Amino acid sequence: MKNTVSIAFLRRLLTFTVGTLDAMNGAMFDASCCRLLSHAKSRSREGMLRVPLRVFASLRLCVCVSLMGLLVAVVFGATIGTVRADEKENVKPVDFARHILPILSNKCFVCHGPDVQEQDQLRLDTIEFATADRGGYQAINSKSPLESELLVRLHSADEPMPPADAEKKLTTAERDLLTRWVQQGGRYATHWAFVPPRKTEPGINDPSIRNTIDGFVLGELRKRDVGFAPEADQRTLARRVALVLTGLPPEPEQLAAFLNDSSADAYETLVDQLLKSPRFGEHQARYWLDAVRYGDTHGLHLDNRRGIYPYRDWVVRALNENLPVNEFITWQLAGDLLPQPTLAQKIATGYVRLNPSTGEGGAIPAEFQMKNNFDRVETLGTVFLGMSLTCARCHTHKYDPIPQTEYYRLLAFFNSTAEPAMDGNKYEYGPVAKAPKDQAAWDQWSNLLEQRGQLIRTAQLILDDGVSLSQDALKQWLGGSGVERLKMLAYWQGSVAMEEVSKRAVKILKQSTEAEAAFTTTLVAQDLPAARTTQVLRRGEYDQPMGEPLQPGILQVMGAFPKDAPLNRLGLAQWLTSRDHPLVARVLINRVWQGVFGDGLVRTPEDFGLQGRQPTHPELLDWLAVELHDSGWDRKHMLRLMVTSRTFRQSSAWRDDVDDPENLLIARGPGYRLDAEVLRDVALWASGLLDPRMGGEGVKPYQPGGMWKALAHPGSNTKDYIADKGSLLYRRSLYVYWKRTSPHPMMTIFDAPDRESSCVRRSRTNTSLQALGLLNETQRVEMSRMLAQRLLTQVETDPTRLNTLFNLLACRNPTENETAVCLGLLRAMKERYAGSGKDAVALLSLGDAARDDQLNPAEHAAWTQVAVTVLASDIAILLY
Amino acid sequence: MQSSSPIREYELMVTRRQLFGRMALGLGTAAMSQLLDQDLLAGRAGELSATHHAPKAKHVIYLFMSGGPSHLDLWDYKPGMQQMFNQQLPDHVRNGQRVTGMTASQKNGLPICPTKYRFTKHDNNASGLWVSELLPHMASVARDICVTYSTFTEAINHDPAITYIQTGSQIPGRPSLGAWLSYGLGSMNENLPHYVVMHARTNHAEQSLFNRLWGPGFLPSDHQGMLMRSQGDPVLYLSNPAGVTKSDRRTQLDALAALNHEQHQRFADPEIVARIRQHEMAYRMQTSVPELMDLSTETADTFQLYGEDARTPGTFAACCLNARRLAERGVRNIQIFHRGWDAHGGLPREHGSQCKDIDQGCAALITDLKQRGMLDDTLVIWGGEFGRTAYCQGNLTRENYGRDHHPRCFTTWMAGGGVKPGITYGQTDAYGYNIADADGNTLTPQPSKEKWTPGTMHIHDLNATILHLLGIDHKRLTYRYQGRDFRLTDVHGHVIHDLIS
Repeated sequence: MKNTVSIAFLRRLLTFTVGTLDAMNGAMFDASCCRLLSHAKSRSREGMLRVPLRVFASLRLCVCVSLMGLLVAVVFGATIGTVRADEKENVKPVDFARHILPILSNKCFVCHGPDVQEQDQLRLDTIEFATADRGGYQAINSKSPLESELLVRLHSADEPMPPADAEKKLTTAERDLLTRWVQQGGRYATHWAFVPPRKTEPGINDPSIRNTIDGFVLGELRKRDVGFAPEADQRTLARRVALVLTGLPPEPEQLAAFLNDSSADAYETLVDQLLKSPRFGEHQARYWLDAVRYGDTHGLHLDNRRGIYPYRDWVVRALNENLPVNEFITWQLAGDLLPQPTLAQKIATGYVRLNPSTGEGGAIPAEFQMKNNFDRVETLGTVFLGMSLTCARCHTHKYDPIPQTEYYRLLAFFNSTAEPAMDGNKYEYGPVAKAPKDQAAWDQWSNLLEQRGQLIRTAQLILDDGVSLSQDALKQWLGGSGVERLKMLAYWQGSVAMEEVSKRAVKILKQSTEAEAAFTTTLVAQDLPAARTTQVLRRGEYDQPMGEPLQPGILQVMGAFPKDAPLNRLGLAQWLTSRDHPLVARVLINRVWQGVFGDGLVRTPEDFGLQGRQPTHPELLDWLAVELHDSGWDRKHMLRLMVTSRTFRQSSAWRDDVDDPENLLIARGPGYRLDAEVLRDVALWASGLLDPRMGGEGVKPYQPGGMWKALAHPGSNTKDYIADKGSLLYRRSLYVYWKRTSPHPMMTIFDAPDRESSCVRRSRTNTSLQALGLLNETQRVEMSRMLAQRLLTQVETDPTRLNTLFNLLACRNPTENETAVCLGLLRAMKERYAGSGKDAVALLSLGDAARDDQLNPAEHAAWTQVAVTVLASDIAILLY
Repeated sequence: MQSSSPIREYELMVTRRQLFGRMALGLGTAAMSQLLDQDLLAGRAGELSATHHAPKAKHVIYLFMSGGPSHLDLWDYKPGMQQMFNQQLPDHVRNGQRVTGMTASQKNGLPICPTKYRFTKHDNNASGLWVSELLPHMASVARDICVTYSTFTEAINHDPAITYIQTGSQIPGRPSLGAWLSYGLGSMNENLPHYVVMHARTNHAEQSLFNRLWGPGFLPSDHQGMLMRSQGDPVLYLSNPAGVTKSDRRTQLDALAALNHEQHQRFADPEIVARIRQHEMAYRMQTSVPELMDLSTETADTFQLYGEDARTPGTFAACCLNARRLAERGVRNIQIFHRGWDAHGGLPREHGSQCKDIDQGCAALITDLKQRGMLDDTLVIWGGEFGRTAYCQGNLTRENYGRDHHPRCFTTWMAGGGVKPGITYGQTDAYGYNIADADGNTLTPQPSKEKWTPGTMHIHDLNATILHLLGIDHKRLTYRYQGRDFRLTDVHGHVIHDLIS
């Protein structure tokens, strides 16, 4: 007892000292005081000192500490002015969610987090645990904060926290922050991302502001006494927005129209054109396909072909048609569970089937059933919740408040799907749907559906007009699906009024049957009549279930399961898209922002948890998330807001007056190397080779020989890469065949992921392999020579050819210097190839595209070299 | 530039900013060229500014036997099994452990299958090393290698098992060992790829390989291994297109640099300057890689050592010789994949051919490195994703048999790079089925954060040990992804000091 008393006494004394010294910014002294104190405490805890001695020791310490306080007071007395300033800083409340929780999470939760194993182990993840009585003391004492044990241990030399052998140590700044936080009462708040977003207005007026986005961004800029960067010039802006929205530069006519349009909303007109372009969906779909790990092969073992590309085509359609984002989510997760699902809704459930799968002989199905489920839960987490949840597979999450049981509840939503655990190395396995084989077929099919609907409406009018029907026929008509009614109409007899309708029904039916006959198959989701049993698995081992069977359920920290929602994937989708879900809208809109600006407002789009980075503009993120809801989940509306903002229109030149290499302030426009697909598409487009046909089975452009064979199982049906012929070589890169164990090298060299696991942010590296690829790859050369051919056949003189080249790729004429450089290169190459016709023809023979042999080979080869060079330069490969 | 690590990104930015930031706004082309020329031949720094402790090894050459070589036919000598031919594996030995779907229900049960090969004992620096007659050349380097009989994992199928060995996780998505090393240590020679992967020719390519095995996982993708191919360009897109000479390329690159300089003047983005550097490096690689692949400077002695096979590109021996040449030129990380070890049936025929492929090359590599004084700082590792069962898969005769997958114990060896030469480590029971202690009692080790069972080597332990030899504390080489500081060894791994000299 006496022991406790003396420690409490010392702690009070320390309270005084810490208070005084901290105010004086005397961290060093205060730490040494703590050291003294904690020394005494740890010794006495071990019971090594007898009572009298202990008292004596305490007394001696008191003297020391008091003397020190005095000394400090004297030393710092002279600088009282500075002290006041610091004091002010120290009184400023520490933001728990923004500053403290990340430290606790990163440095303390590994032992004191949600997953502590022993009952009496301290937990710091909630205020209840942190303030619990621990036998005479509290980790955080909210009433007398300065008596908090946390404070003592933070500064203890003998029993420091984190301990001396901890893998992660606190920095001085972190220690100071924690100290200040406890001194201020040690208050808790919920992690920002678990609090549903609310709209606030930026409350700032400035003529430069074009929409709400700008208010938030300018607000931060003003804090640094700067404003927006100047607007980029019209040409740069047109190129930028076209690349951002459609992944291609603007068409020359489009650019000209924009530049000639003197109306105030000329730019908005351009934006609307781009949003309507079919190229829009193709470009935006890539981001989604990375996230959901779309691939054309199973991924494991034989890595055989799998039938799922109609899902990819559906994504493109949904984006082009601007399907509301909430429906976009619902169809994918649970289209099959909607009442009378449409074909598109069923195809969309391919999302549930995108997990890599195996058909390896000897593999144990139960093991892979669970592996598939893990993958689905963790992908769901990354795509919609901004956290992988992987930790909770084996144990309660160390950082984020996600108990292991909830992980398995979430998993239970997927543990009922009908496909077998193993793919049997088959193109089709488990439930499949018949689907149109490309977008043209899909258009035709939609058209037929529309015609059918119209015809049925017409027939209804005729029926309403008094054509009599037998009771049975009426029942059949009223209860029949679209196709059943169409059939009824086709076989309708004995009614003159129906004759015309019936004839048309026959025609539509015939066309529909023909269209269907050309359908391909695609993997879809379907539930078993009875779900498999789900239990928590010890350490995530499939053969170690424990505890009671679990019902499907959601993560409690992210809001309630909607009332009356079914306990299946459809209910799961309703939860995700409910108004008060704190994460989904934020996570999705952050990725949309990332697609536009190059980086998200949360720079770790894969992690919105405690360990992730804080949003650079939290209020803006929340405003956007709520606006997404308010707009009826209108993706194009959101994109329009972003690209028409003043923020987006800024010049992307680095600024002399803002020291912000990461562009966290967004004080300049976006600037980054374009993605692998865009690099190829831009060159295909400029060369005139681009085949605009959409959808269909993955295409195979040139690839160095033997790349698949070197890896593949001899039994694999993807061991031989046979390049396509003709127009398939020139389809957009979105359609390039994605073999998961070996994607096309021009994709992976430029940072495309393998699509074996979810990727919501590609790295952007800069390597010598890329340099080699840009200048030497067959298709790059082919595209360059066709671009050269275009210039030579369509434009008269060399300088104007160069102008055309630059206008295609940069939307502007070359500068004087660029002209000199390029014409110089051209001259050198003309001379060189004039002397060696053989080399010229060799260069011009790369790739399958037909060469115009009317052209002088030396001139054509020389222009090819210029085109290769400009296409590889930063003028063409960067967004700016 | 955007990398996945905010810290790395920030540091890169800071460094670059100092170099190219504000100053560069007003910097002319000439001055920038000068900056570019500086230090072009030096390597790229890694995440670690210094290794955690003095490294013993600078290079790793990893000889990966894909498919799972039979420890029982190559290394792990079990003479007692000869008397148990065709008897059922006792239940107490199997001890309820799972077997794959391929042998779980075979008609002949689990009949014990002794090896048909003769083993002989060779002097090493301890009590000798038993080596199968399939590996005569390896027997000659018994004094140089450290053989571990007790390597193990929990993965029983190829795909997860090989992913486990290469990335420390059974599930795709994590960086490979080589990518971790590239991330941690950077490279020593920017004229060559820092992490090179070769696929050696085999007659039995039964199992597939995957890009992920040398992939970057969630690390920035420049850490991925580069495939050095024996067909076409050794490095993808290395050669100029037909009709383009080296001097054409030089002219072109000068124009390209001028265009990029102009872009830099306009935007001052430091990444542009970095890209100009990459083009120059690529240009130099166009010389250095063909020089590397040109074996005409090698002496007749070398080919005697590696065998005449080494003259044929793509053979295992040629890959081994290339590995030595790569290490000589400062490439840190070299990995050779040799497929075809998945002998479910007809093991003698398949393993016979497989061993012929690799035996001389492996031994020659060790000898060659040693002669050149390179073995001290070059760590050579040999192993597969698992071993093979003591019982037969399919029909069993004395002369012909097959074996199923067996991850519970298998043999790997290491040489050089600070590993004790000429010792063995760990042992298995009389059936080569379970890891055993020195008295032959079964051990059931588990990968564990706290506990490590002496005499055993989980894949996490092997990886921890490899990193240790390279000067890295496996617990401190981490990368923040999705909120977690990931490491190669997950939360496991123990450095096995018994193996380190």
